[in-house]
Amino acid sequence: MMLPRRSAARAVLAIGLALLGTAGCAGPFPADSEDTLARASGGTLRVGVSENPPWTEVGDDGSVSGVEAELVTRYAAEIGSRVEWTPGAESVLAQEVAAGRLDMLVGGLTSRSPWSSEVALTRPWGTATGPDGQQQELVMGVRLGENALLVSLETFLAEQERG
Amino acid sequence: MSPRDSSRETAEDTRRPVLPPEQQDALRRAVRLEWTTLAVMAVTVAVVGLTTGQSQAMKAAWIEDCLSLLPPIAFLVASRRIRRPSDRDHPYGHHRSIGVAHLVAAVALLVMGTFLVVDSATGLLTAEKPPIGIMVLFGQPLWSGWVMIAVMAASGVAPVVLGRKKIALARTLHDKVLYADADMNKADWSTAVATIVGLVGIGLGLWWLDAVAALVVAASIISDGVKNLRAAVRGLTDARARSYDEKEPHPLTGQVEEHALGVRWVADAAARVRDEGHVFHVELFVVPRPGQDPPAVELAGLRDSVRELDWKLHDVVVALVPEVPGFQAPR
Repeated sequence: MMLPRRSAARAVLAIGLALLGTAGCAGPFPADSEDTLARASGGTLRVGVSENPPWTEVGDDGSVSGVEAELVTRYAAEIGSRVEWTPGAESVLAQEVAAGRLDMLVGGLTSRSPWSSEVALTRPWGTATGPDGQQQELVMGVRLGENALLVSLETFLAEQERG
Repeated sequence: MSPRDSSRETAEDTRRPVLPPEQQDALRRAVRLEWTTLAVMAVTVAVVGLTTGQSQAMKAAWIEDCLSLLPPIAFLVASRRIRRPSDRDHPYGHHRSIGVAHLVAAVALLVMGTFLVVDSATGLLTAEKPPIGIMVLFGQPLWSGWVMIAVMAASGVAPVVLGRKKIALARTLHDKVLYADADMNKADWSTAVATIVGLVGIGLGLWWLDAVAALVVAASIISDGVKNLRAAVRGLTDARARSYDEKEPHPLTGQVEEHALGVRWVADAAARVRDEGHVFHVELFVVPRPGQDPPAVELAGLRDSVRELDWKLHDVVVALVPEVPGFQAPR
């Protein structure tokens, strides 16, 4: 692959221009690599939930409540989707999201969460005081590569912030 | 035998400016350019660092920008050192610092290319899918990818302009550091384009395009790094002097020999020329015609006339020999 610099740069530039050309007429931008947003809209949004009151609470009957859970339900309603909750431990759920069996992960995750290589962390939707007394930013997790879903969710969260 | 003891040699002679006015001027402009480069790169490093987020491609571009600070620094340090005159501890002067700077620049290029290859290859193999969300600018949600594309496009412009100017000066100065640095600037430009392509790819849901674009550019950066590294090592190990872009042996070696052969009393002449940075060090072996026994003044005259052939022929030694020593000046 020892291309001379000039022709390598030209090839890259040509690919780039071609892509920009197709970008205008294709679906959402940015797009999902697995079309999660399109699938969830009008269908189900598969959300892994780890219990972490008051953000998320899982009842004995399997019902999910809490501030963050409500936020997710409202988001799902906005994209015309129904939430399918999967309760579990954060570490297991993070791997399920990475494997593509879940679309999202919630449970009072903070921006310092160790799962950033398994899930994409969203922009903060709130703040909380952590166990060390420091302010922490609360975030949600989205399947990596699903940037349409990420952007759609983050836009919703940003709108909530503004009230 | 050396003409060093000639009566025409004075203390002033070693202290006269090494570079003629045109090159002095080019050097001054190159120094200014390199300071500009440093300033521009420092701003780029700061801005790219702030917008990087979780994107691997942006992170790679940032590390690469940090690495491209090395050649300008090496050049500036070297261009300061070469001003010092030769002394008893540095009989060949300080021009070799240009060669050292060239080595630094070459290694920086090579490391940058290798880093990019490793980084994008692992990204490709482990199917890393870079997430890029939104930013809220003036109350409006905006896909961060657009911001990154804008930053990359802006950071790609300055290197193109600087690189082009540097290549012109590198030619005038016979400066290989400047040439390597200009190469690095071109590399900055192509990685900026590759990063933009990668970001657009991410936007289209083609997560692998980021890594593939980076790989293509990295391959060409590595090839430049290897080329420059070989050239720097060749220079530091006293290989035959070559043109500033390493494409051909430097024509001055032949010109020096021809000039010597044109002298009345010379039967045969051979020169060995090494590259000291901007300037050359010449050892000229001359064989007198039978029956000729040129005095020291004649040898000093020949030395001075060789020096006048070109400003690059800075340090010239003429040795009178019965025959050209094959092991010292192989033909």
